[in-house]
Amino acid sequence: MDEEYDAIVLGTGLKECILSGMLSVSGKKVLHVDRNKYYGGESASICPLEELFTKFGAPAPDDSYGRGRDWNVDLIPKFLMANGQLVKLLIHTGVTRYLEFKSVEGSYVYKGGKISKVPVDQKEALASDLMGMFEKRRFRNFLIYVQDFQQDDPKTWKDFDPSTADMQALYDKFGLDKNTQDFTGHALALFRDDEYLKRPAIDTIKRIKLYSDSLARYGKSPYLYPMYGLGELPQGFARLSAIYGGTYMLDKPIDEIVVGEGGKVVGVRSGDEVAKCKQVYCDPTYVPDRVRKKGRVVRCICLMDHPISNTRDALSTQIIIPQKQVGRNSDIYVSLVSYTHQVAAKGWFIAMVSTTVETDNPENEIKPGLELLGPVRQKFISVSDYYEPTDEGLQSQIFISQSYDATTHFETTCLDVLDIFKRGTGEEFDFSKIKHELGDEEQ
Amino acid sequence: MATIKIPEQKVILCGEYGVGKSSLFRRFTNDTFVTATDRKSTLGLDHYAKTYRVSDRDLKLQLWDTGGMERVASITSSYYKFAEAAILVFALDNPASFHVLSQHLLDIVTYAENAKIFLCGNKSDLLDDVPQITDAEIEAFCEQCHNLITGTYKTSCKNGQGIDEMFSDIAYQLVQSNRSRLELQSMEQHGFKITPTEETAEDSCLC
Ligand SMILES: Cc1cc2nc3c(=O)[nH]c(=O)nc-3n(C[C@H](O)[C@H](O)[C@H](O)COP(=O)(O)OP(=O)(O)OC[C@H]3O[C@@H](n4cnc5c(N)ncnc54)[C@H](O)[C@@H]3O)c2cc1C
Ligand SMILES: Nc1nc2c(ncn2[C@@H]2O[C@H](COP(=O)(O)OP(=O)(O)O)[C@@H](O)[C@H]2O)c(=O)[nH]1
Ligand SMILES: [Mg+2]
Repeated sequence: MDEEYDAIVLGTGLKECILSGMLSVSGKKVLHVDRNKYYGGESASICPLEELFTKFGAPAPDDSYGRGRDWNVDLIPKFLMANGQLVKLLIHTGVTRYLEFKSVEGSYVYKGGKISKVPVDQKEALASDLMGMFEKRRFRNFLIYVQDFQQDDPKTWKDFDPSTADMQALYDKFGLDKNTQDFTGHALALFRDDEYLKRPAIDTIKRIKLYSDSLARYGKSPYLYPMYGLGELPQGFARLSAIYGGTYMLDKPIDEIVVGEGGKVVGVRSGDEVAKCKQVYCDPTYVPDRVRKKGRVVRCICLMDHPISNTRDALSTQIIIPQKQVGRNSDIYVSLVSYTHQVAAKGWFIAMVSTTVETDNPENEIKPGLELLGPVRQKFISVSDYYEPTDEGLQSQIFISQSYDATTHFETTCLDVLDIFKRGTGEEFDFSKIKHELGDEEQ
Repeated sequence: MATIKIPEQKVILCGEYGVGKSSLFRRFTNDTFVTATDRKSTLGLDHYAKTYRVSDRDLKLQLWDTGGMERVASITSSYYKFAEAAILVFALDNPASFHVLSQHLLDIVTYAENAKIFLCGNKSDLLDDVPQITDAEIEAFCEQCHNLITGTYKTSCKNGQGIDEMFSDIAYQLVQSNRSRLELQSMEQHGFKITPTEETAEDSCLC
């Protein structure tokens, strides 16, 4: 450990592993440390199942759960948008070669106590039970408008300036009712609250396009999920970092981030060893004095031996419960994966219900999500604080990531990473730095 | 005419730091040898595929190196995923590297349950008259692990001895054991790789 590094990265969560990989690829000498014995921190997938039960203080699982090591349970549920930022990062860094994916089978939205498939094209919209007949026509016209929309071709704007007019105005232009607005904004554009209605429509149009572009890539839904669980993602980036020279140390407690003149970081201490460095990149848990609590997220892991009703027995799915449908300010998210992804023993399903905490009784807040699931064999509830840095790092050279939010996708994750990289190195990440002779087959 | 895809099998290298895994990888990829322990030697290249012909069938061995992660930390469990074979490497001049093999074996059977396991004693060029690890010891080890080991080899990355023979034999063994399985394999069981679309291949920047 007693060496000098360009950067020391603390924590092997997804964000830190992506950063570590990007830094190593950029030619920096990187030391990557985790206080845990395993890779992934909060982004790890827990294996075997016994360990998950122990973690939550539950008595060991019985035989009906099959073999413990057939399970890989994520602590934080997320899906990848097929055309989103993380997929771009995976492709450009070559990390995609370490992973295999499956498409999530369907996406559903909650309305008036039951769930309906999110209509993704005009044909599905016409068949959907979300809308009445006349509303369907209006929604269809809206979808056609969005699909034909080109930002650089004002002719396609149809007498509507989306960079100044807000989204509410666009909905009104097509006469869409509140329910349709609800699922468009929350299940297609994936907004977490209704702030977007007052913002320029262009933002929402782009998000709906991202949704349909992602959908176009692999079919059934716009979402992807990696075989063996999300824990494979940080590991993939850790490997990238290692093959570009990064050094890994696990099970290494960090006692102090050593700061020198002008408040600038000079190293990291573990016991009486100090590793010198010019920069530190870390998650909030390593620097409690440089972050502030922004909110809380409640997550409930549910082990079930059946799929969710009314999803055509999908082996994987996402359900969005828009805030307004249940009188809340933030949406509730349900994600489901199963044995088909090698994350559970044969016949088993893992559902996760999550939302941003709004009351003193978080458990009660996720009830509408739990009610959709049917009988649950085992539930694990956790409430975690959500932190953001108070230190931008420009002076201290300590760059801190934000905690993982309630979102069930990675778009905000990637934006945070790219932003940190830019603050830390003063430049955008240059994807051309990655030699593409990594493997022999593709290039 | 339809092209037949050559089946590709992931083969991973396991064992202590310094036993010659990267050197085996280097021999496999371009048949060279370096003495320096320079970790940059395999920088950026972490797996490589080569086609072997086994009694009129083609099989691609895709060999993976650890990337040096085992130097201080443990190897990620994802390294083992999808592996069809694992080569358990020790150095013939280093008894310690032989005696910890059971630990590595445990990792393999845990994370790559279905992988065939091969044992490789490397640095055979360093053997003088009194071997540090006897054939009897190697046999005893194989017996202890309930014959999980499909084949044992002695190699030298320095002079190249035994290397081609080892990889050819591994290819042969895999073809034998996969004969029926390869044909049954249905795509449904598997995930897919994500690949760039035309459009994403163009914009090399996320901004
Ligand atoms: C699969 C999926 C599941 C979701 N689940 C949740 C959830 O569990 N909880 C929750 O609160 N919210 C969820 N959402 C909605 C999502 O969280 C928000 O839209 C997103 O986090 C942006 O929030 P923001 O206001 O911080 O960013 P903004 O400031 O609104 O956006 C920042 C930038 O990110 C881009 N961006 C935002 N969202 C996406 C996206 N989906 N794909 C590509 N680029 C995007 C925008 O173009 C923008 O440039 C989900 C979205 C997806 C795709
Ligand atoms: N004499 C001899 N040295 C070898 C042989 N194979 C590897 N080495 C040397 O052993 C050292 C460690 O090899 P390396 O491939 O980096 O080991 P790894 O850590 O298992 O990847 C290097 O200095 C190699 O040159 C061999 O067959 N004979
Ligand atoms: Mg090596």
